[in-house]
Amino acid sequence: MDSSDQELLAETLRKVMSTSSGPDLDKKLDELGWQEMLAEHPDVSISLVFRLLGETGSHSSVVNDVLLRAHNGAPGESVSMPFANGRWVQWSRDQICSVDTVDPELPLHEVATGDDIPWGAARVALGWWLIGSSRAMLELARTHALDRQQFGRPIAAFQAVRHRLAEAYVAIEGAEATLAVADGELGAMLAKAAAGKAASTTSRHVQQILGGIGFTAEHAFAGHARRVLMLDALLGSSRELTGAAGTMIRNAGHAPRLVDL
Amino acid sequence: MNTDRFRDEVRHWLDSHDLTPGDDHSFDAQVAQLSRVRRALFDAGWMRYGWPEEVGGLGGAPILRAVLGEEVATRNLAEPGIYSMIEVLAPTMISYAAPELAADMVPRLLNGDEQWCQGFSEPGSGSDLASLTTRAVQAGDTWIINGQKVWTSLAQFAQRCVLLTRTGPGHDGITAFFVDMDTPGITVRPLRTLHGVDEFAEVFFDDVVVPAHRMLGRPGDGWRLAMDLLPHERSTCFWHRIAYLFSTMDKLIGDAEQVDDLRLGEAYLAAHTVRCRSYATQQRLAAGAALGPETSVDKVLLATTEQQIFDTYRDLVPGAVEWDDETLRSEYLYSRAATIYGGTAEIQRNIIARRLLHLGRGDSG
Repeated sequence: MDSSDQELLAETLRKVMSTSSGPDLDKKLDELGWQEMLAEHPDVSISLVFRLLGETGSHSSVVNDVLLRAHNGAPGESVSMPFANGRWVQWSRDQICSVDTVDPELPLHEVATGDDIPWGAARVALGWWLIGSSRAMLELARTHALDRQQFGRPIAAFQAVRHRLAEAYVAIEGAEATLAVADGELGAMLAKAAAGKAASTTSRHVQQILGGIGFTAEHAFAGHARRVLMLDALLGSSRELTGAAGTMIRNAGHAPRLVDL
Repeated sequence: MNTDRFRDEVRHWLDSHDLTPGDDHSFDAQVAQLSRVRRALFDAGWMRYGWPEEVGGLGGAPILRAVLGEEVATRNLAEPGIYSMIEVLAPTMISYAAPELAADMVPRLLNGDEQWCQGFSEPGSGSDLASLTTRAVQAGDTWIINGQKVWTSLAQFAQRCVLLTRTGPGHDGITAFFVDMDTPGITVRPLRTLHGVDEFAEVFFDDVVVPAHRMLGRPGDGWRLAMDLLPHERSTCFWHRIAYLFSTMDKLIGDAEQVDDLRLGEAYLAAHTVRCRSYATQQRLAAGAALGPETSVDKVLLATTEQQIFDTYRDLVPGAVEWDDETLRSEYLYSRAATIYGGTAEIQRNIIARRLLHLGRGDSG
């Protein structure tokens, strides 16, 4: 897929994702050839689809497909995934169960247990999702800062406001760089940890810049803020993965260089 | 030469040529060690890869210089900050000096014969560099320079200086010169730093006469010259510094007396993140892209990471900085400067806000 193909695909996906979500979106993604894309161009497809889920605020159960591909599961299954505090959950393919979580839109439900399998590809996928959500949040704050006038000028003129947004931008860009080269289990752990951390940094600064309006349920920020909490808790939170990476390097006795010129 | 082969051959060569520094950790000894390393690497050819043939190089992609610097930093052969200065000084000469001047001078820097310094900051012009007031006035085929520079690294060791002066108003009134440090009228007063080293200096210019052919570029090119340094500083130099931070992480893992995997993991994650970011930057540069304000992201990540790693070191090896590890103490204290030199953390965030987030002009530029 060259870059103009990718742009065209991104355009199509963005359109579909802004009008549908959940099982309806799953169906439309399949019609667009999601399974074939995933088989033929896994890296490009995963980064594109999951980033756009975040940017558009829609959701889909496609993380199951990423996991099934990674260990030859039967198509259409849901895979049990670790969630914070030793829980196991599944991402339903249909929207029947709605549990009262921080993000009730997501059809996650608890299961007794699951198999510990390589999570790398799915962690990278959720990392891209977190980055997409973060970029969407940052854009909300950016336009708000330019529109909102106080003391006779846009609040974007104030250095305290500018530096918070710059801080979020740096976190997002850094995390994206780790995702772009994420390879192997350690690389994927670090990339999801960086993305989760970028999302919490962004959420905190964006919320502050949005002020009162960002605390209303009707503002688009609310959905993103809830979503990134949920996505961070799935397949290892930023804190858990960072600690696990610390254990790995302590046991290894050195700090692995995962990318080289 | 291909990058992987170059790395392998450099490693092989370094394995059989011992350039380990001696026991003297004074700054004078570090500067002497730097010259020794450069001389040896130049004579063996390694130092010449990635530089154009016109200035004594052997050609090849500039990325080879990043690879060589990483090997030097990983083996702790030279103090990484002063080793990397060549990466901004030599490209400036290649781009702005008259070709015969560059051909004459750059090899002396590459081969370890000389040290050079950069006269940019002034007592009244730090973050607002374009307000500098060191004046150059034309007198026939010479220029007369008067003024003062400060925070000039290596000034007391340097044979030459890339100097920014004012020749007219505004950004277009800044002009650069390549000045011999033994010219009458130049006084260097070293400044002792927080980490106990005479690393930088004040430099005074009193009626210093510089020949017109030592001008870099044309009158008014100085600001552009200063801005053109950034892509060099933020590609190869940063890669060297990141290599140094990874070898610091290795040492920390070995030295840690407290087990705190979260803290250790956080420091490693920060190091990994800036390495991935810098990797992407080097790839873009190698593909022919012009680097611009987006490298402020690299700068913020690097400065933050350096301080985080040394904070973690201090916490996991209690008392080492304060009491019994002199080298670590010096490195820890030096890391405090990372958010100040090369453009402060605040200036970087201003650039990100204005140029990357398009937030318009702020109250502070």
